Amino acid sequence: MPPSIHPVDLITALRQKHLTPAIVFLTSRRACDEAMESFDVADIVLPPARQEVIAAALDRVIANYPSVAEHPLIPTVRRIGVAAHHAGHLPSWKIAIEELMRQGCLDAVFATTTLAAGVDFPARTVVITQSSIRKARDFTDLTIGEVQQIAGRAGRRGKDQVGFAVITPSPYIDLGVLTKGLTGHPESIDSQFTITYPMVLNLLKAHPHEQIHAILAKSFAQFQLNQRAELLERKLDTLHVQMEPFGPRVCTDWITQWQTFDQARRQRPHRLQVKQQESPELTARFHFMTPGRVVGLTRGRGIVLRQYRSKGQRNPMISVLRPDGAVTECPAATVAEVFDRVFECDETSAFPWCSAASFDELHYQLTELPTRLPTLPIIVPKVSESLPDAIVQSLGDFPCPTCSSRPACQKDVAVASRLRQEQHRHTKSIQALRASLWHRFQERVEVLQTFGYLTPSAHLTDDGEWARLIRIDHSLLITELIRAEAFAGADPALLTGVMASIAHDDDRPGAFPRISTGLSSLLGQVRKLAESLSPYEDPPLLRADIAAVAERWIADPTLTWIGLCRLTTMAEGDIYRLLARTLEFLSQIHTLHATHPGLADSAAKAIALIRRGVLEELP
Amino acid sequence: MTTDELERLLAQQPVAVLHRLARGRVHRHFRAGKRRLIELLLQHSSQNLAGLESDLQTLIIDRQGQSQLPPGATRTAHRVPSPPQKRSPNRGGEPETSEPAVSLTAWLEGLGVPPPQPFVPDPWQSEALAALDDTDVVVSVPTGSGKTYVAVEAARRAMEDNRTVIYTSPLKALSNTKFTEFSKIFGSDKVGILTGDRQENGQAPLLIMTTEILRNLLYDAASGEIDVRLDTLGLVILDESQYIADPERGVVWEETIIFCPSQAKLLLLSASIGNPQDIADWLTSIRPTASRLVRHSKRTVPLRAGYLHPNGKLVPLFKTAAIPSGHPNHLHPETKRLFHEYEDETMPSGRSRR
Repeated sequence: MPPSIHPVDLITALRQKHLTPAIVFLTSRRACDEAMESFDVADIVLPPARQEVIAAALDRVIANYPSVAEHPLIPTVRRIGVAAHHAGHLPSWKIAIEELMRQGCLDAVFATTTLAAGVDFPARTVVITQSSIRKARDFTDLTIGEVQQIAGRAGRRGKDQVGFAVITPSPYIDLGVLTKGLTGHPESIDSQFTITYPMVLNLLKAHPHEQIHAILAKSFAQFQLNQRAELLERKLDTLHVQMEPFGPRVCTDWITQWQTFDQARRQRPHRLQVKQQESPELTARFHFMTPGRVVGLTRGRGIVLRQYRSKGQRNPMISVLRPDGAVTECPAATVAEVFDRVFECDETSAFPWCSAASFDELHYQLTELPTRLPTLPIIVPKVSESLPDAIVQSLGDFPCPTCSSRPACQKDVAVASRLRQEQHRHTKSIQALRASLWHRFQERVEVLQTFGYLTPSAHLTDDGEWARLIRIDHSLLITELIRAEAFAGADPALLTGVMASIAHDDDRPGAFPRISTGLSSLLGQVRKLAESLSPYEDPPLLRADIAAVAERWIADPTLTWIGLCRLTTMAEGDIYRLLARTLEFLSQIHTLHATHPGLADSAAKAIALIRRGVLEELP
Repeated sequence: MTTDELERLLAQQPVAVLHRLARGRVHRHFRAGKRRLIELLLQHSSQNLAGLESDLQTLIIDRQGQSQLPPGATRTAHRVPSPPQKRSPNRGGEPETSEPAVSLTAWLEGLGVPPPQPFVPDPWQSEALAALDDTDVVVSVPTGSGKTYVAVEAARRAMEDNRTVIYTSPLKALSNTKFTEFSKIFGSDKVGILTGDRQENGQAPLLIMTTEILRNLLYDAASGEIDVRLDTLGLVILDESQYIADPERGVVWEETIIFCPSQAKLLLLSASIGNPQDIADWLTSIRPTASRLVRHSKRTVPLRAGYLHPNGKLVPLFKTAAIPSGHPNHLHPETKRLFHEYEDETMPSGRSRR
């Protein structure tokens, strides 16, 4: 089975069920063109009577738009009554096809889904072949609104009792997206408000800076932000209600009070544990109780034979040789003094912990010791006790331990603090929602001030006065170019070339005519400037090949439309749109005639030169 | 065809045809003998008689065509064998309701040109026009419901009142179409057009422009370069105003609405959107009078959805003839079967179905 129905079979099937006229939405222009090609060999020609009707209708359109007559699709349209309608065609062709559809002459039109909104003609049937649409290089699923927009073309008021939306599968179609689109409720729409440089300049021209806030507040964007803020406020209100049982108790801000108290309380047992283990003093002294050291015990003196930690409690212990020759085990804590006297001691690993000779020697030395011995000065390292102390002290300051509401506080604090955190968060987001537009406006104002379009008091400078008239995309780049006098002495062709490269935002590749050196170096300048402006404004594509197409059209007034189309692989419709958009940009430049007469003059010349051939013919 | 007739017809067919017919309809049909197979097929026909009948007809025709071929050529496979069916036909989705699915004949019923009727405006159209006398109106209706009639009538009334009307559309092509259309209705001296590259009859009482041009006009008026004609402006019609959600150009609609002079009425015409009430509420909050929302979701010309299989077979898409609003899973069993078959054949092997 073929992956999708053949266009000829499709038309045959539709005719058989009397479902014509139909609009067939296809994925791409190429698919539309290929569908048209497949009719070249098809033998599903219309009866002569209908062919004549189409021919007559076409002739009427051609009388208004001569360029239609040369269109390569005309024979297919006449013979079979099908046509293609997409952005690659000239507007005159699209008008012709729309007119034929309105008169009901055609059986089917192949159109691209991308242009579904621009297809402003109904049919009895709409054929849908895909569930996704190409948006900015990626395929995304059709939204419910889009499916309904497409299906909505089916059924002509007054000419049809019923309209039909027919789905025919192609690879990678997702039937679920389409059925959901047909049966669903369209999506909500959201404001896409952005603050543009010309908007800032025009607002500040007409209104003082302090009134702008009120104007921005009138936008749909702010309306929707407010809706979200109100939603949060309602949540905030419920939070307030939930917080009520946790209102002021003995202390007004009991949550904070309890939290600090709790924190302090948590730190205290930690400190107590340290004390329980062993004092830093003992640790320091234990360090010096090495074998051979003379120590003073509660009763008499002795010489340390070994030190160890008790197995169970890990208490510091020592084995001591007493003057009577006995070896006793005692905790290091019982040592009263550590003397500054050490004897040689030959340690062994078993009782009596030193060699027999060493034992006798030590015993002898012990009995021979003078009555007074100097003690060892032991420096006890300071443990940072200040913090726990402070807490211990401040714990005394807390009323909590004795407070009557202590059990309630202890129970509620988890819930209450979470609620309070949420409250803070909501309050912050509400503030952000209410002020975000104004902040964005202020950002734009600052940029315009650094560039010198606005004075520090946010009034328009001389440059700002004219710059506000440029109300198109990439306005900052264009006004900066004018200020840098990039167009000084530039002829209309160069100006058109640059404007075309700024205006064109499609990255469809292709073959294009050669660019002149003058335009190429000028574009280099423009590119550099656009690069430096990129933190403030997204740079345009600035394609040199596109600039060359527009330049050719202006530079060579004898060039015909067909000639221009032969120079490039761009589709006719794309060239037309490029020139039309360039025309719009140029007419904006033309409005600067008061301040930049030379430039406006050049723009006027370019406008006059662009309007010829096909571009003049159109409505 | 009655059940008896169908039974007789099935009995006449060789068992191979019956098996082919049962494929995808009857679970484990290859186990059944001829009599049992007929029984099962008849059981299935209660679910979808039309699909079964039409498939049977195709098979019979196919067979007749084959029998005319010289013997030996009959065995050539003219159809890619479908992979073995492992599941019953109504797996997945919702349990089938007892209600039988619509037949193709019933689905196609009503096709054709309605008898000519005198034009009577729909209630919503009259409602929108009446409301426009006092306040701004937001219209949100399905594509093709007759928004243009409201625009034309509203423009006519405002012009009879010696007021200027501005009509904007998002696309230059649409502006041009409307210019031609309105010129026919009101006479070419009454209609002018202003777009980025075309200016004709700029002093006419009904001006058609792109929304960007209107925005620029309003800015010029606000900054003191007064355009006197804004004082006489009585009505601003913004067509396709769902463009307010366009990522790049939506801001222009907002600017236009914010700066629209308060004495002029606004008429926002939009395709079906999810939250028209929001738009109306917004207008109410910034305009002098409370705006009126006119919405409906019923199409003037009812819509039906179908499924056309690549082999040329047409079946209704849903179980009901009309589109079952809110029930995307109420698919016609025949569509379900054909689409699964299609997916099985086109999906690269090993890839699981969504």
